[in-house]
This record gives sequence, structure tokens and C-alpha cells, in this order.
Amino acid sequence: MPKLIIDNIAVEVPDGTSVLEAALSVGITIPHFCWHPALGKAGACRVCAVKILEGPVKGIQMSCMLPAQDGMVVSTGDGEAVALRKSVIEWLMINHPHDCPVCDEGGECQLQDFTIAGGHGIRRYDGKKRTHVNQYLGELIEHEMNRCIQCYRCARFYQEYAGGTDFGVLGRADMVYFGRQCDGPLESPFSGNLVDICPTGVFTDRTARFRARYWDYDMAPSLCPHCSLGCNTIPAARYRELLKVMARRNDAVNGWFICDRGRFGNAAVNAPRRPRQPLVDRQPVGWDQALDTLLGRLSEFLELHGPGSLAIVGSPRMSLEGNIMAARLRDLLGAGTICYFGSSKQSEPALEAANSLTPDTAASQADVRSADLIAIVGCDLLEQAPMMALAVRQAWRNGARIYAVDCDQTTSLYAGEVAPALSALPFSEAKQPVIIYGTDHKQPDSSDDAVRSGTKLAFILNGPNDFGCALLAREQGAVPLADALAGGKIKGLLSFEADLTTELPDAVRVLAACDWQPTQLMQRAEVALPATAWIEMEGTFVNNEGRAQRFRQVMPPGLPIRGLGPDGHPPREFRKTAPGSDILPGWRLIADIIERLEGERVDVPLSGRWQKLQGINAEDAGESVL
Amino acid sequence: MEAVLFGHNRPDRAVTFDEYCAEGGFAALRRALAELSPAEVQQAVIDSGMRGRGGAGFPTGKKWSFVPRNLPGPRYLICNCDEMEPGTYKDRILLEKNPYLLVEGMALASYALGVQHAFVFIRRGYEQAARNLRRSVAEALSAGLLGDRILGSGFSLELDLHQSAGRYICGEETALMNALEGKRANPRAKPPFPAIKGLWGQPTVVNNVETLANIPAIISQGPAWWKGQGATPEAAGTKLFCVSGHVRQPHCMELPLGTSLGEIIDGPCRGMRPGSVFKACIPGGASTPYFTGEHWQVAMDFDPVAKAGSRLGTGGIVVFDQNTCMVAATLNLIRFFARESCGWCTPCREGLPFVRHTLEKIENGYGAADDIEILREHVHQLNYAFCALAPGAMGPLEGLLRLFEDELREHISARTCPFKTR
Repeated sequence: MPKLIIDNIAVEVPDGTSVLEAALSVGITIPHFCWHPALGKAGACRVCAVKILEGPVKGIQMSCMLPAQDGMVVSTGDGEAVALRKSVIEWLMINHPHDCPVCDEGGECQLQDFTIAGGHGIRRYDGKKRTHVNQYLGELIEHEMNRCIQCYRCARFYQEYAGGTDFGVLGRADMVYFGRQCDGPLESPFSGNLVDICPTGVFTDRTARFRARYWDYDMAPSLCPHCSLGCNTIPAARYRELLKVMARRNDAVNGWFICDRGRFGNAAVNAPRRPRQPLVDRQPVGWDQALDTLLGRLSEFLELHGPGSLAIVGSPRMSLEGNIMAARLRDLLGAGTICYFGSSKQSEPALEAANSLTPDTAASQADVRSADLIAIVGCDLLEQAPMMALAVRQAWRNGARIYAVDCDQTTSLYAGEVAPALSALPFSEAKQPVIIYGTDHKQPDSSDDAVRSGTKLAFILNGPNDFGCALLAREQGAVPLADALAGGKIKGLLSFEADLTTELPDAVRVLAACDWQPTQLMQRAEVALPATAWIEMEGTFVNNEGRAQRFRQVMPPGLPIRGLGPDGHPPREFRKTAPGSDILPGWRLIADIIERLEGERVDVPLSGRWQKLQGINAEDAGESVL
Repeated sequence: MEAVLFGHNRPDRAVTFDEYCAEGGFAALRRALAELSPAEVQQAVIDSGMRGRGGAGFPTGKKWSFVPRNLPGPRYLICNCDEMEPGTYKDRILLEKNPYLLVEGMALASYALGVQHAFVFIRRGYEQAARNLRRSVAEALSAGLLGDRILGSGFSLELDLHQSAGRYICGEETALMNALEGKRANPRAKPPFPAIKGLWGQPTVVNNVETLANIPAIISQGPAWWKGQGATPEAAGTKLFCVSGHVRQPHCMELPLGTSLGEIIDGPCRGMRPGSVFKACIPGGASTPYFTGEHWQVAMDFDPVAKAGSRLGTGGIVVFDQNTCMVAATLNLIRFFARESCGWCTPCREGLPFVRHTLEKIENGYGAADDIEILREHVHQLNYAFCALAPGAMGPLEGLLRLFEDELREHISARTCPFKTR
């Protein structure tokens, strides 16, 4: 644990920490471009220069390259260091275009910040700037090479961190070019991270191009709803329209990155077909009328068929809060069946995960990244949980052995050997082994006993809240919807953000459905109740490892301003409320139904055994429910 | 002095394998394998006081001693023949005249270092040299002087020739290793040094062609004899000087290390061209600060040249006469370095074009007094580049500012290059 002094502040850091990281740990930001916490040092940009006054080395040093050592006295503000940093900025600005007003990065640009901070205001270079021809990199990422400051972050991420092969460095000297051999969409499923890691505007989010400045965005810490991993995100919205999604750092989960599905796959939030208006028998009505009709028809139904023929359907797409409220509604109505999963194919892996994971055995993405032996069982990892595949790659880069059991692992991310069974793997030689079970894996058989204790497990599940639903399903004795329907007893459904996996018999009434997406159930519903999407509300998802994480409200619900008036012009009339803004989160809607039935205020969903999840801070690493 | 490197040379062609052997070639290798342990070979090189001939002048024996003996896995020897320093062509001449010296030297060095796989990394343009080398390797192989169990000893060596795609930066040893591994030729961070973690992460020694070609003589004639070939007591061995520019007879010659600049020019080069008067020279390749008439007596050895404010470098001397514009000469060099930057670090990639632009302005009569300050700043700041390319490029510029500031100011005040109007 070296002890050093940086700008008169005593710092003690673990061995191998760079001076730059040591400074960051006490809140001193030394300018940097090529250094990135996930990509490490490169020593290329030379802007992190500091002066070492005392210690084993002296003089001007690059703080990213220099390991902190005992007895060092570091000055970040020394005149010589400041002069060099100023020179570096001047060099970088020789060719950087002054196009900040039309650059999407403007306002969130590291180069802009450090140029201002470094005091480079007067241009001494009066020659021509070098220019490049940009490439078409697909519909998602815009390429503007003239802005490049050659920090090599993009190539290092794309090739080294993410295993991509179709993008890299070309050319030399001041004509170094970062791109593909020819125009064409980037092939890596992690290409969107180029937008996040580029310290200036070479790679920008094409889907959000020219839409807003950083300070215009509605932003809040949120989660990705696309698979079970619960990667942390920052969605950015403006005027009730989701514009883009950025990765949010969580060292235990996704680290610094997210996959392209999580970044670019969220158009449904803005879709014009999204339900915004309560419907009764497909006719628009007010909220009161919709709920009154629902209660009327519900009591009729219960009188006619009895509560045993009613199924309450929750969903792994819905927040934990919504699913808890669904269980309370079931208790109140005495409904015969509660469903959380569409089919047993969905529920079984989730229940298996809930039954077998303990705080000691649950493997986070961070555990996978630091594993030295990884067995992937029955899983198309890149398809089912891309970021987990990226985590496996990091372990592989550090020398971990990767084995595939009952599945094919042909990917450029890592090289896995095919193994006949788990029992054939050298678990006893490994220090930190992890088994990743996919949704296609068979139930563990006796050979899994060969796996020594201390092996961590990761289950790849389907939805963002599969694990939470599995806990509730176990507690509530839930059955998958397909099984419940097959029993033939069910005559009516109340569905909350649920999806159908089987044909719904005509005889089964969908008394009401609540969702933010125009699903089949919403179309069948006698009473269709629109709800808020996850970024329009606060809530909790429990990810595949049993980690409960909070997402916060990013933007208010309602129709995006764009599209309200003709030709995309904002509306010309004045209203106090935004159209479509009177929708509620799923859990709140269920609470309303319960309140109407019972006539008294309903408790918050996270009470009783869920109490401990109430205090989760969305910016923290989450809370284990194991 | 006896010729150590050029003793076997034929005037119009390369020496043949048989001629080389008949004149005592490969005797050193035979002797070492029969009589000497690897440690004794290394000790002989240490005793000889040999300093690397590639430009930096680092003691060769000391470099070898950094290689850890107890690490598992292979060790590598690389001969750096990516000779691309403007004004330097000694390695080419050496290989075109006598490639066997390098083969024998590499075999000896590999024996001393415990290397079983050695590489020659040769510049693409050196086609004749590569042909010679390839032929000599084949001849040595069939004579049992390379390959498995050389001369019946327990020592085996595979010697591979790699014709590089080639750039100046490939001469930087860590960039060279990246290039050899098939990666972009960007320099690597040091530490770890190549002797610990080099080619494919294994201990690696990188030596210049001339350095390795001297090893046979050190072994066959003894380190004391070899050391005695220098012109002064401090100078060890001989040195290839390749002279170009405005002298009567520019060529590559072998002279005792420590021969004075004046002796080189007036002796083997037969003085300046008719009508030419010595104005300045690059003493050791394009990255070394200029010498002028006041340096005429400087002994061309590592320490005396450094003391005189320049570097011996590769021994590539480029002589300028009185009609040479030093601004234009420096600009020409800076253009080369700016083009040859690998593009990895900012000072080199962006700083050198800034210098080039500033010198272009001054040379073309658009310079301002402030520009001299910009140049001076760059001489200082480019020291903080990632590798030695940019600091090296500042060598001639530093010389220009120190020795020819008047000429610079004349360009600025006359608003033109005075040599164009004269």
C-alpha cells in the first residue's frame, strides 16, 4: 500500500494504482484522454502530465503510466506540468474543427472541457487543418473523423475489450484514421459504446442526432429492461421523448458498458402505437369510467363464475412493485390462480435460480470478469445476455479457460472448448470457477455434484424481473399462464404487462389488461388500461443474480411534443397538462383498483418482507434479495 | 588499425562463403562452441567495452546481462536492420559486402544468451542485402553452422529473416517487436524492458547489425585486441562511418572509433568538393544536432561527441557546404520525421507538423519573430513524447537554434531565404 502526497494531500492506495487514479481517489481530476478506467493506460495523449517533486522518479511524468510509489510528492499544478498540458491541448486543437455549435458532443465533450480548463484560447498554428473523409458506419453511429484527437480509445475498446474485428486504426503520423476498411455497419454488438468512450465527437448517436444538448436532457439513473442482467443505464429524454441511452457505471454489474440492444432497442417508448388512452370495448373513455366498468364487470364475473375461475397475471417485464401489488389483488379477490410467467420454459430457470443461489454462490458480472474457469451450459450467451458474453471475454483475456457444455460457443469474443459434461472439467484446479446456465440447459443432474463447493453460479433468465417474479411465484404458488389455461378452469384474466406465449382460447375473457405496449392481451382486453413505461416511473427490478436495483423516473409520461402538431411542429394551443400524461405506473393502477374495492389507502408495495428494498439508492450497486 | 569488418571485402562484389571461411571466417564460432562457455563469450563482449552501434551507444555486454537466466520459455535475439535514419547506410554496405559476419555474430550472441531462435528484421528496401543474407543463412545451414546441434555441439539456432513492411519507427526496438508480431508498429511502454518482456512477452535482446558483426572478431582476436583498434585509449573498436554530402568522395569506411571529424573529411573523403567550404555537418544521422567548423577536432566517439553537444548516433555524417541553407536542411529533416511518426502520441504526431509548418513559413519568408519562440518551445516539449523519435527529431532543430539563430533571423527579417537570392 504505497503512501504518497498529491498536491499536499496524503493518499494511500493499493499496489499498482497509477498516480492518476490515486489523484482521482481524492477528488483531483488530472486531465486525461487515452486513459479510461476500463481500458487502462496507453500513454498516448500525454495530457495527464504531472511533476514529481520527490520520490524514486522525478520531473515531468505521465500520471497514467506511473505506478504510485512510497514517498512520492506529486504536483499537478506545477508550472512545467501545466505548460506541457497546455501544449498538448494546443497540438490537439491544431486539427480539431471549431464545429462545436453543430457537434452533438458539444456540452458533453471531454476535449471541450479540458481545452477550456487548460486555458488554450489563442491559436498560434495558422496552417491548414488536415481533413478526412467520413465513413458510413450504419444507421446507429455517426462518424466524423475530422474531430478525432487520436486517443485510441475506440480501437482499444472495439478490438481488445470487445473482440471486434471490423474496425481499427489505419494510416500513420498525423493521418491516423479510425474506421473500417470500407463503409458499412459496425458488426460488433457492443459498437454503441464508441459513442460513450470517445472523448470528443467522432462517434455520436445517430438516432439522437441534432435533437438536444446535454443540458436539455431529462436524465436519471435507470436500468436496461432487455434481458435479465440488469445493466445500468442513463436514458436521456427531452419533451417526453426518449432520445438516447447511455451506459451507467456499475462495477458489480455491467462495468462501464452496455450492449447495442440496450442502447438502441428502445424505440417502443416513443412509438405512436403505444396505448395512451383507457379503452372500454375499444372505445376511448375517461379513467373513472374505465375503472368503474372494470369493477362492475369484475363483480359480475365473480358472481357468475366464482373467484376460482379468475387468474391474475403479472409479468417479469413489470417492476417488482407491480408484481407485489398483483399478489395483493389476488389475495383481496380470492382469485384461484396467479401467474407470473407465460410458460414453464420461462419459469423453470427463474425458479431454479431462486432456489439454488445463495449469497455465496451468486456470480455477478464482476465475478465472471475475474473468473479463471468458466463453464457455459446450454446457452447462446451473445444472444440471451450479450453483456455476460463480454464479461466472459474479459476473463478469457486474463487467461481464464472457457468451456461450452451442451451448446455452441462460436464467437470472436473468446475461444471456448467444447466439453461433454460439467463433470469432465478441471474445477479442482481453478481458484474462481463460474458456471453460467442458460435458459436451454437441462436441469442439473447428478454429475453436477462433481462441481466443487466454491464454484459460483450465474443463471441467464429471460426478463428484467424474472428473479423477482420467481420469488413471488414461489411464495404465492403461482403457475405459468399456459399451464393455467391448459387446466381449462380459467374463464377470465386480469393481466398486468403480461405477454401471451400460447393461444388464448376465445372462451377466456380478458376482463382487463394494463400495459405500456400494444400487446395481444391489450387488444383483446375489454378494459384496456395504458401504463407508464419503466423510464416514466420509479421502480425495482431483480436481476439474474438476485440483485434488486432501483430505476428512477427519467421523464414525465405523455405524448412526445414532436408529432403533436402538423409537420412535427409543437402544438400551437396552450394546455395545462400534456396529452396522455394522466397514465400511472402498473403498480399504482393496481393500488387504485384495490382502493376502489376496499375503500382505504393501500400500503406502499415494498413493505413487510420487501421492506429492506425500500431504501435502495439507484446510484448504488443494488441490494441482494438472497 | 586492422579492418575488423571490412577486412574480407572485395572491391566489386560480396565475399563468397568459401572465401570467407578460407580467410578465417567462422573460426570464432568454432572456437566458442569447442572451448568457451556462453558466460565466457558474454564476458569477452563485456571486456571489449563494445558500445551498441545502432545509435544509442549502450554497452552491449551490459544489455546482454539484463536478460534473466532463470525464466522459463524461449529467449530471442533480434538483429535490427531497419536502417532508415537519413544519412545512414553502413548496415546496407556491410551486408552487401559481407553477410557472413552478421550470421556468425548472431550465432555467437545467441550462444552467449541461450537463444535458440533469432531474427533479422530488415528494411524492405534493402533487397540486395536481404538476398545476400538469405543466401548466407542457407550456406551456413548446409555447412552445419546453423540449425540443429551446430558443429556437433549441444547448441541449436534457427535464424529467420523478416523483410519488414517498413517504416522509420520500426527501428525503435519495441515498435520493431510489435511489427514482428504482426501488430501495428507502435512503440511499447517501458518498463517492462525487452530484456525482461520482449518479443511475444519473452526476454529479448535487440542489437544493431554492426554491433553483432563485431562479435566474431572479439572472440577470435580477443577483447583486448579489439578494444585496441580505437583511435584513443577510451575508444573501443572500429566504427563504420558513412559520409555523404558535399565532400569529394562520399562513401562508407571503417575507421578507428575516435577518429576526428577533420581527419575523416580530409582523409578518406579527400576533403570538400571543389568550390565548397565546410559549413556544418550532421555528425551521426538525421537525429543528431549539427557540428560546425569549431567541432573539426572532435574525436568521433560516443562521449566526446556528446560533450560537444551532439550524438555519435549511427556514424552517418552528412556534410554541408557554404551554400546550404540550414533552415531548409532542417526543414527537410523535420519533414521526414513528421511523416515517419507512428501517430501514437500527441507531441510527435501533432508537434512535428507544427514545427514543419513553422519552418516552412520561415523558409518561405512568412516567418515572424514569435516563430522562433514556438520552435524553442517544441525543442523542450517534444522531449515528453512516448518514444525517442520526437526528441531525436528535435536534435537538428536544437542545433539550428543554438548554432544558426542568426540565419533564422535573417530569413525572418529579409522575408525570404537568403540562399535563394544569393
